[in-house]
Amino acid sequence: MKLRGLLSTVFAMAFGLLVLLGYFFEVQPFYGLRVVFVEWAVILAGFAVLVGLGNLVTVHIKKIRAREKGSVYGLLLIFALLMTFLAGLAWGPDHPNMVLLFRAVQFPVEASLMALLTVSLAYASIRMLRRRLNLFSIVFLGTVLVVLLGTASLPLLGDVPFLGDWVRPFVSQVIAGAGARGILIGVALGTLTTGLRVLFGADRPYGGK
Amino acid sequence: MPSVPSTEWIAGLVSFLLTLMVFSYLWKDNALFRVAVYLFVGVSAGYVGAVACRQVLLPRLILPLLNGDFLAVFPLLLGLALLGKLSQRTAALGNPSLALMVGVGAAVAVGGAVLGTLIPQVQATIDNFELDLTRSVSEQILDASTFLIGTVTTLVYFHYGARPGPRGPQRSRPVAVLGWVGQVFVAITFGVLFAGVYAAALTALIERLNSLRLFLGL
Repeated sequence: MKLRGLLSTVFAMAFGLLVLLGYFFEVQPFYGLRVVFVEWAVILAGFAVLVGLGNLVTVHIKKIRAREKGSVYGLLLIFALLMTFLAGLAWGPDHPNMVLLFRAVQFPVEASLMALLTVSLAYASIRMLRRRLNLFSIVFLGTVLVVLLGTASLPLLGDVPFLGDWVRPFVSQVIAGAGARGILIGVALGTLTTGLRVLFGADRPYGGK
Repeated sequence: MPSVPSTEWIAGLVSFLLTLMVFSYLWKDNALFRVAVYLFVGVSAGYVGAVACRQVLLPRLILPLLNGDFLAVFPLLLGLALLGKLSQRTAALGNPSLALMVGVGAAVAVGGAVLGTLIPQVQATIDNFELDLTRSVSEQILDASTFLIGTVTTLVYFHYGARPGPRGPQRSRPVAVLGWVGQVFVAITFGVLFAGVYAAALTALIERLNSLRLFLGL
């Protein structure tokens, strides 16, 4: 292993294990070290955001130079990015002008993209019924219908008795709660395994092999 | 003399136009939709960058350095090395900084998984069997048993261990049956999540349509 690769592995293992000790033994010096190292990681995450922005701009500049199809959109993206970044640096993200920008651009586009999901999700459900009709897809779509019908009042009919009072709460709070708990525990076990592999140097997703 | 439109009105006009541009995707993927989306990505990325500088780097790094906190020199050097990732020639300089982030992130994830998920979720499954005098016993037993069966069978569904058999690797019979029950629980859980997302999307659609109506004064 090259010296630089060794240094990266030592960094990951040493800082990670000290932070982990700080989680399970809330005594000095472990607790203090945990606070300091997490703070450093947050600062580095701030630098990583800047690296990400730089990379985004570089990729689009390359596309514009190569006159690739659709590169004019990249020009718009870079302009919007730089203007917002400079305005945010000058005024701060809480300034009324930045809030106005958020309300004029970010919120409407985000909400409209979310609204488009009503069409794409309905289309995806119909495609699933046509292409992959089995017990589990029927259970899945049946649950969707039960929860939606049990949640909202229907025109002319109003609330659906029994469905809204008993079936929907039981399905969404007990059965789905149980499934979600199983999934959560599974995810936590996966996180634990992956995290320990990184902390003991078995996986090195930071440039080492 | 014509009155000058207020900034609020201009913001409303931009919001109105961007909403229509995004909705034009329902017709087909077109230039107006792309303009709206690229503008959104640019503004969002710029905003995130400004937040990172003003709310992370300035108070946690620059101000401590100006106040003589020399411990902040170490993250400053690592941060500058991380900026080396912007070029392929200097990318390797940023590896130790990335390693620190990954190591600390892994430790936080392990701590969070054990203390924030595994222990509380297992404890909550056990606590379901504690009798609550305000509810009927049969209802509580039904709820707690469903929770226990659902949690265990869902975990079994994600168990991928298999033994070699005459028709290739196969799960044992009990694991296959429990996994099948778990799959039903997973299908119901995803159905409930899907319904939640769909309800949120419908709410967003109603809100956007209402904003278009209000801007037009209808």
